[in-house]
Amino acid sequence: MELNRRDMLRLLGAVGLGTGALTACSSPTQGPPLRSGHAALSLWTHDPGYATFFTEAAADPALVGGSEWTYSIEVTSLAPPDVVARLVSQAVAQRPLPSLAGLEIGQFPRMMGSDIAANLLYDLTPLTEPFGDRLLKTQPYTVDGRVYALESDNSVSVMYYRADLFEELGIPEDVETWEELLEIGAEVAADTGQAIGMVSDADNTAIVQGFTQMLLQRGGGLYDADGELTVLSEESVEVLELMAEGVRTGAFLSLADPYGGATAAALKDSHLIATVMPNWYKVYGLEANVPDQAGLWRARNLPRFAGGGSISSTMGGTAFGVVGDQVFTDAALDFLRRCYLTPEGQLARYWAGAYLPTLADLYEAPEFQEITDPFLGGQRIFEVYAAAAEELPAYYQGAGLPVLRDSLGGPILRALKGRTGAEAALREGVSAYERQVPR
Amino acid sequence: MTATTPARPGARGRARRQWAPYLFISPFFLLFAVFMLVPIGAGAYLSLTEWAGLGTPEFIGFDNYTRLFQDPSFGVSLLNTGFYTVFSLAVVLPASLLIAQALNARGLKLRDFFRLVYFLPVVLSPIIIALIFGLIFDGEYGLFNAVLEALFGFGGVSWLTDPLWARIVVVVLVLWRWTGFLTIFFLAGLQNIPRELVEAAEVDGAGPVRRFFSVTLPQLGPVTAFIAVTMLVNTAQIFEEPFLLTQGGPGESTLSVSMFIYRAGFQRLELGYAAAAGVIMFLIVFALGRLSISAFGVGRNR
Repeated sequence: MELNRRDMLRLLGAVGLGTGALTACSSPTQGPPLRSGHAALSLWTHDPGYATFFTEAAADPALVGGSEWTYSIEVTSLAPPDVVARLVSQAVAQRPLPSLAGLEIGQFPRMMGSDIAANLLYDLTPLTEPFGDRLLKTQPYTVDGRVYALESDNSVSVMYYRADLFEELGIPEDVETWEELLEIGAEVAADTGQAIGMVSDADNTAIVQGFTQMLLQRGGGLYDADGELTVLSEESVEVLELMAEGVRTGAFLSLADPYGGATAAALKDSHLIATVMPNWYKVYGLEANVPDQAGLWRARNLPRFAGGGSISSTMGGTAFGVVGDQVFTDAALDFLRRCYLTPEGQLARYWAGAYLPTLADLYEAPEFQEITDPFLGGQRIFEVYAAAAEELPAYYQGAGLPVLRDSLGGPILRALKGRTGAEAALREGVSAYERQVPR
Repeated sequence: MTATTPARPGARGRARRQWAPYLFISPFFLLFAVFMLVPIGAGAYLSLTEWAGLGTPEFIGFDNYTRLFQDPSFGVSLLNTGFYTVFSLAVVLPASLLIAQALNARGLKLRDFFRLVYFLPVVLSPIIIALIFGLIFDGEYGLFNAVLEALFGFGGVSWLTDPLWARIVVVVLVLWRWTGFLTIFFLAGLQNIPRELVEAAEVDGAGPVRRFFSVTLPQLGPVTAFIAVTMLVNTAQIFEEPFLLTQGGPGESTLSVSMFIYRAGFQRLELGYAAAAGVIMFLIVFALGRLSISAFGVGRNR
């Protein structure tokens, strides 16, 4: 077939028109909300565990039975930072947005400034208010007093330890304070080279997360409820000094990445015999790297600081928010409420991916209390988690957290390595932060 | 046989013929305007605003630039990028030339194998490279420390968590990754040097070193200039190596300007600020590019 110039131009024109027509036919997600019927919800998340849970939940009569909606879920997998970036870019370009967005806790502060959360996400406060403080971990996702996402996993920090090695080395399992445990840890490190904890010394996020976990336990925090910076405090100095002392004596092992190859090696060769991490670390850190050590590990609540604080902390988490002004916003709200704010939903989430309940009262429910964990030697793990949940410290975030992580990471690392004092390091980090995030 | 006289085109035909060339070259200019000029203009305008992505950008004049020049992180990123660039020019470039010279030697066995090995880092995924380098240079369980310990009795160097060593590891990664790629260019240049020139130098009694400096290097001038300028411009925009290996850490000790822009724009959603840093980087890279083109004589007629 011969194609002359005129035919070519016609062809190009037809292709252009066709593309335009197809674009116009793409299903929009914005529009007046529907009130009932079938809801094809779209979900953005980084974690395949959530994808599986929500997909199964959509067809589970125990969860969605009696609803005015029937559900199906279409999942898009994205890296945690990309969920926020794409939410913003899609909104700007007026392209389809998801019904539900999985927001990793460290990424949520990016939505706290410039009214991004308020503009994009549905205000869930009316759903959370009736639960009061019995609904845990709403603070990290609160902006100006309004809750914009519901936490999936309480991420309660406990101390995982090798019961066999603790017994062999004569380390009591019920040491009450960090100060006592660190003394014992120093002796163990001097004798055998084994460590009873770890600190991260690689990227700023991991460094600051590790510090924050201990700081929350001590009763401090990075921000207060009003979003004001509270890093410079006696608690912060005390915590950083304790961590630096742990590294200096060898009680704490300095590792690049708590989830990387070096930590796996330290666990495998029993160099690292205890670690303070949230509940999800048992699945992603311990069971994944040292399945052969099943039955040897146990969990206990954290030793207190002599100066005060609690036996609990938290690190990490992912919350789900409902994107506002969408056709299925009502449906997504109903679905999220059923999955996240009912006992059935919380139990289903635990069985789907070991996500801990966020409703505090459920920790005492028989369904949870009777759970035993084979990896932890058949321990009734909710006895530990329940005590931790009862004392779970509040964790507030601020819009400047990404800057704070980069500002504090270097100075904290130098303090951990003994190259500067704890207070000087914190002052340096805060000073760098304040230069970049003026009050 | 009858000769036909072509009909003279009318005014409409003349106009059509006059505009035809412009019509044919217009796609390039149209695409250039849409995909280059408009984004550059939008970026320059964005740098004068404060914008987090949603809503309308707020015009703030040169505030972003003022803040940029007072931001120690930007200063650190400039210094780091300068360090990577100088290293690339001072070490990677000569190393590539020497390897190319070795690969060009007559009678070299397994020549193709060596070429493949040197080129392999270029085609490997940066993610895999970063993972492997992370394992090699890990402070506690790294292969390199283990080798040092075994051979010399000392190890325990914090390669990735000490600011100085982390920078060194990043440039080692640059060296490892790009030397083979540049070697291919030099090799092509070496193979184009007329054999008679080398033989004439040999007849005149020039040894290998003299031949290298008096024949090879001058003949490679245009290739070297091209590679140097390309390397300079690319390294000034270095992103993958520090991002994947150290995330810019420890602290900000390996942060590059491109990472700074990425961090401001995509992690902190300070799009105006990121655009301002992008404009500064563009000006620096453009100026360096022009200077080096002029210094190396790229495109100059002999």
